[in-house]
Amino acid sequence: MFLRKFASWLLSSLIFLLLSVPVLLGILIGFVVLLIIVGVTLLPAVLRTPINLGPPPSAHAFQPLIILPIGLGFFALLFLSLLLLGRVPVGYNLRNLLVRWRTTLMTALAFTLIVALMTVMLAFVNGLYRLTGNSAQPGNIVILADGALDESMSSLGNASSTSPIYLLNQEQRQYVASDEHGEPLVSLESYIVAAQQVQDPQGRSKRRFLQIRGLTEPAMTAQVHGLSLYPGGHWFSQAGVQPIGRLPNGQETSEQAIQAVLGEGIARVMGADLYQRPLQPGDLFEVGTHKWVVTGIMESAGSTFDSEVWAKMQIAGPLFGRENWTTCVLRTSMPEHSKEFADALTKEVKNPAIKAQTEVEYYDKLNTTNQQFLVAIIVVTAILAVGSIFGIMNTMFAAISQRTKDIGVMRIIGFSRWQMLFSFFLESLFIAAIGGILGCALGYVANGWSASSIVSGGAGGKSVVLKLIVDGPLVASGMLFTLTMGALGGLLPALSAMRLKPLESLR
Amino acid sequence: MDSHIQGLLERWLDPKGLSVVAGVLVILCVLVAKRKALSFIIKSLSRNKVRTILTGISTFMLVMIITFIWTVLHMLDLMTAEKTKDLKVLVTEKWSARGQMPYSYARDMEDGGARRPGDVKPQDSMAWAFYIGTLDASKLTRENFAFFFCMDPTKFPTMMDSLEDFTLAEMAELHNSIKLMKADKSRIMLGVERMKALNKTVGERIKLTSLNYKDIDLELEICGTLPKGRYGQAGVMNLDYLQDALDAYSRTHKGEKHPMADKVLSLMFLRTEDMGSFQLLAGQIASSGLFNNPPVKVETASSGVASFLDAYRDLLWGLRWLLVPAILATMSLVIANAISISVRERRTEMAVLKVLGFTPGQILGLVLGEALLVGMAGGTLSSWLAYIVINGIYGGLPFQLAWIPVFRIPVNALWWGPLVGGATALAGSILPALTARNVKVSEVFAKVG
Repeated sequence: MFLRKFASWLLSSLIFLLLSVPVLLGILIGFVVLLIIVGVTLLPAVLRTPINLGPPPSAHAFQPLIILPIGLGFFALLFLSLLLLGRVPVGYNLRNLLVRWRTTLMTALAFTLIVALMTVMLAFVNGLYRLTGNSAQPGNIVILADGALDESMSSLGNASSTSPIYLLNQEQRQYVASDEHGEPLVSLESYIVAAQQVQDPQGRSKRRFLQIRGLTEPAMTAQVHGLSLYPGGHWFSQAGVQPIGRLPNGQETSEQAIQAVLGEGIARVMGADLYQRPLQPGDLFEVGTHKWVVTGIMESAGSTFDSEVWAKMQIAGPLFGRENWTTCVLRTSMPEHSKEFADALTKEVKNPAIKAQTEVEYYDKLNTTNQQFLVAIIVVTAILAVGSIFGIMNTMFAAISQRTKDIGVMRIIGFSRWQMLFSFFLESLFIAAIGGILGCALGYVANGWSASSIVSGGAGGKSVVLKLIVDGPLVASGMLFTLTMGALGGLLPALSAMRLKPLESLR
Repeated sequence: MDSHIQGLLERWLDPKGLSVVAGVLVILCVLVAKRKALSFIIKSLSRNKVRTILTGISTFMLVMIITFIWTVLHMLDLMTAEKTKDLKVLVTEKWSARGQMPYSYARDMEDGGARRPGDVKPQDSMAWAFYIGTLDASKLTRENFAFFFCMDPTKFPTMMDSLEDFTLAEMAELHNSIKLMKADKSRIMLGVERMKALNKTVGERIKLTSLNYKDIDLELEICGTLPKGRYGQAGVMNLDYLQDALDAYSRTHKGEKHPMADKVLSLMFLRTEDMGSFQLLAGQIASSGLFNNPPVKVETASSGVASFLDAYRDLLWGLRWLLVPAILATMSLVIANAISISVRERRTEMAVLKVLGFTPGQILGLVLGEALLVGMAGGTLSSWLAYIVINGIYGGLPFQLAWIPVFRIPVNALWWGPLVGGATALAGSILPALTARNVKVSEVFAKVG
């Protein structure tokens, strides 16, 4: 019995769909036109734009700049087609939504929560992508030891070799860019992860893993990485240490403190423990058995350097058992050929054997964690979406069963089957749109929140402090997602409304 | 093997397990005693099958997400919860996160730095080094790369975590592999998933180029597998074999030591009886002259794990306090909506029931019962399926967080589902049930008339 009913319902639905081919064809043609317009105008621009300059890096993960206008355009076209092509009783639908305001509100609220969650979760991944994208400089080449999966495993030779260009021969050196004083833009660095003893809010001792970058020429390193200091600070000196003079408690001391420059993210985190405010130049903190003094805070927000402490390599390295350079970063004079130059360096430099890659490639590889989070979020969101789709389906089926008589009357006064279908379909889209708008607005509250995480290319990883970013494409994704949920959830009930026979529904 | 069965029994006989069993028994008793009411509820639900199925599926999906999230949080909570007995102690390098202690520390630390009569000795210990290698140094891809815990293989059954997830057959294979590894130091165990990625089988020999010990390339023989799950992507190598290779380096390099020769030890685990013994042990090690170059940090394993997971604190906070509550609220909304609609449609029926002698309390119970049944059924099906399918097929939830590749769905999930489904259904149906309870017969029939 049930199967027979289902088969009859399916057949009549198919017949209806075939009959409404002209309408569907119209929509399809509009959709294709939109696709062409978007393809011609937007796609080449997106493809031409380098990763680190152009659209938000989230575009590379799910290409919202391409998908979103098409999707939203499709829904806009659908609305317009329905309103222009037929007498869909939109006013009736709106009145019904208002009369059944509790059900409308509760269903929309479910959408709101799901879309808000999706927005916040994607804002986190967006922040991670932005962070890794912003850390790369065009034309920069990162050199690690051959076979090293990340900086922590790399060893480029003893830190006593302080000439930043010792790795390269004369011919290779001519392709390295120089600063205004003619100095080659090369930075030798040593990446160290130290354990800092701190106290949690309950007063218990715990460890914080602190990323220290050992350097010799901080100003040059900053120039290579495109970083600068906030006013009031200065780079650490050649000595790398300075006398403390007077401790915060007023006591005089002859002790020396290690000079350090901090990313603003880590200055905020460490300052919260010690002074209940971000660290500032002149502040003292402890790592290992030594006192350190802040000489400057870097304008590093939105890059991986935001979570780093920079200090003199020859002083910081031995404290943590690191005596080797791990990384060499250089700027080529021909950014457009940086990939070829990196490949040539990998082949030619043999002592030590190295792996050179463009900085863009290097940070792209650090996106493994981001991709993993993105996949997890997509899975979570998809499952949540299925739950919500069944929720709205429930609401719409109930709405139809409550209004069978209305449908009968409307059919008798001349509304056709497909007008009934689109009427109920629009109703579910409308509920979804309201919920989605509220959800995006709620999710937007998270824009700018700080969060800690790890970015990694599969081994090791860097602790980072990132900002959640809710941007245009993300909001558009939320709206597209909510409308798709509304469409999928509303379609079956709308088809069942279409199938109702006028006389039977009036009985 | 005995300890494995003991572990399973302990898990089920702990207060939580017993309360679950008691809860199930109570529910079964209530169902038997109230089978008429149950049959009435089922009949009511089956009158609108579409709505019941849609609400059930909705609950099913949302409970599944809750199960996944709680699985991750539950495991991390277990790892970071401080124990009072049978403590695992972690010894690491004090100031550096890399962990590069000399091999000699392992031998001296087995006694916990005890040097006077009455000093505490650890009940057990395990030293760890890490070896990362690739089958093809010219092609550094994830597919040809292997990660090893270098350790004394005989310590695996007593000191490693998550052994309760091994089946009896897997435990038997583990013991057999350990025997083989003791007989030949070059033998290794490899996780089944890693072995599949490397396209190797048990009995094959492999040559690895090291990525973290320069020029220490090792020839190894795969003698056994580690099951899917926690160790599915990892391998176990004999620490002595790695140390022998480092010693051999100096013989082939004119007596020059390998740069990592005195930095091989990454972590040391000790086991102590209770918190008192731990504190004594920590004091002994800290004051011993044997462990101050480099100095070491002694902490409970849970505290150490918490430090390593600190970078994820905001993410975990978001999962716990944003995602889960929002999903629970969504579930309640979906169920509340479905039950409200159902009550509105059945006002006449409620009035008839009242005329037939049903008390307001019984009508309230009927509506709550309907919601509870749908919620619990959807929730139970969801978490039980997740437990069986995810653990059975994937060996756990594949979500790499820090060093943890998969999260096995815990046995607790078997009660999370019914509880979450039931509780959210109850929360969502209270208002509609009160509305149904307060239906006025005169009003309803006045409208019908």
